[in-house]
Amino acid sequence: MILEPITPNVLSVRRLPHADPALVRAYGGDPAKHTSLGLVTVDQDDPTYVALDECTKHAPVDVIFAKSFYAGSAHASGKLSGEILGVIGAADPESIDQALDALVRCLAHDACFYDADGKRTITVFPHVIASLGEYLSKEAGLAPGDPMAYLVAPPIEATIGLDAALKAAEVRAVRVMTPPTETNFAAAWLTGTLDECEAAAVAYAAAVVDVAGAPRR
Amino acid sequence: MSRTRQLMAGLRDALGSAEPLPRPEPLPAIPAPPARVYTPRPEKRPFAAEAAKHTTALVGIGHVGTRYATDVVLQFQAELAVAHGAVAALLPDDWAQQNGFVPLASRVTNHREFLLRPDLGRRLDDASLEALRRNCTRGPDVQVIVADGLSAVACMGSGKDLYEAVARACQARGLTVGTPVCARFARVWLEDEIGQEVGAKVAMILLGERPGLGTGDGLSAYVVYDPRLGKTDGDRNMISNIHARGMPIDEAAQRLAALASSMIEQRTSGVALDLARLGLAGERTPRPPQVRQKLVNAPDGVGR
Repeated sequence: MILEPITPNVLSVRRLPHADPALVRAYGGDPAKHTSLGLVTVDQDDPTYVALDECTKHAPVDVIFAKSFYAGSAHASGKLSGEILGVIGAADPESIDQALDALVRCLAHDACFYDADGKRTITVFPHVIASLGEYLSKEAGLAPGDPMAYLVAPPIEATIGLDAALKAAEVRAVRVMTPPTETNFAAAWLTGTLDECEAAAVAYAAAVVDVAGAPRR
Repeated sequence: MSRTRQLMAGLRDALGSAEPLPRPEPLPAIPAPPARVYTPRPEKRPFAAEAAKHTTALVGIGHVGTRYATDVVLQFQAELAVAHGAVAALLPDDWAQQNGFVPLASRVTNHREFLLRPDLGRRLDDASLEALRRNCTRGPDVQVIVADGLSAVACMGSGKDLYEAVARACQARGLTVGTPVCARFARVWLEDEIGQEVGAKVAMILLGERPGLGTGDGLSAYVVYDPRLGKTDGDRNMISNIHARGMPIDEAAQRLAALASSMIEQRTSGVALDLARLGLAGERTPRPPQVRQKLVNAPDGVGR
């Protein structure tokens, strides 16, 4: 069904209650601050970035590492690899537990790709974040609490969709990731008021569905 | 639901993907399940059948499959309704006057309070106390009180007949009977205050009893010697189930008169009263078994 949610599969959730300082440093953390780590792999990368951002709102944790894998989960290195590895760090294991709960909850009920052609061969991620957390606000150069539209689709669909989104709403492009990203998609982060972000996301999804239905018009 | 999911659901509707689904294929005819008809099974055990002849309790009623027969269930519900109706009924304000009683009332002001506050139902209100002092003869041997109790239906149905029968029976034994009074919202212990106030030797209250299944019309009589506030249930003798299917009114009246005269003779009542000296009228003969009143007829072909 068109625009049916495709729920991400959390492939692994592990904790390192007391990680080795060398490991923490290598993954971008501060060994003085990040003694406990939480690690997840998921088969959808962009919902996971959103979920990692979400979990910084629920517990005093930092996202110290989050990277997508080349060509996406269809070409994963193993059945637990998926499309992304996310690592969060905190001073104590309880914070990691709370953050991971929030992260898994967000993936189960909120952030997900949507089917754009009814056959799941084209997917779209037109996500609206009402209030940014610590992680994506820093990545985007916005303030925590700002709204942001996080828009992802395959290259041609994303290009036409971004044009539609920018024209449909009073939004500003914070960052545009031209194809190919690691997973061979294209993405854009837009900001504005929450209403405008929502209008942009809807226009983006409608354009992607339109391109998916008529690729040669 | 998350906001993004709501937005996408809205867009899905706007794109027409939420059009009503096509009609499903009509189902093939489903064969009717095999009919399971349970035949009623009357009670076969001789003990239960014999016991059922002696009581209106629900024994020896047989079964249909694993359940009661329909007529048994309907009868039970109807009997319960009779009991509920009797508790809910109110004695009309003017009933006492129309039937020649001096109207009295307890301190209860409404029916709900009557059910919730038994203590208020055991004392007369000020107006009634005044009426009692003004209208009633003092110092009778027996002061009879008719009251609604927990079944105004029973009081209205046979309260007056029972009063007249009791008064006749007492007078036949040479006892003087006080001015007839009728108390509204009354509990049994109200007889203590009334009897004390008129200075009667024996107080006797005839009141509707707590309804049982199918018996909303039963009266009880409580008799106490030397009535005064503070008497307990141990000081009272009582007869219950005074109704057409239980103890008939005449028999009850004879027994109540015998109790009253015996109390005056023995100068006591309740546990201390020697019932062996009541005399013939006091002797209990085995009562014929009660017969259940048919309240509901099950439709043809249902139940038994």
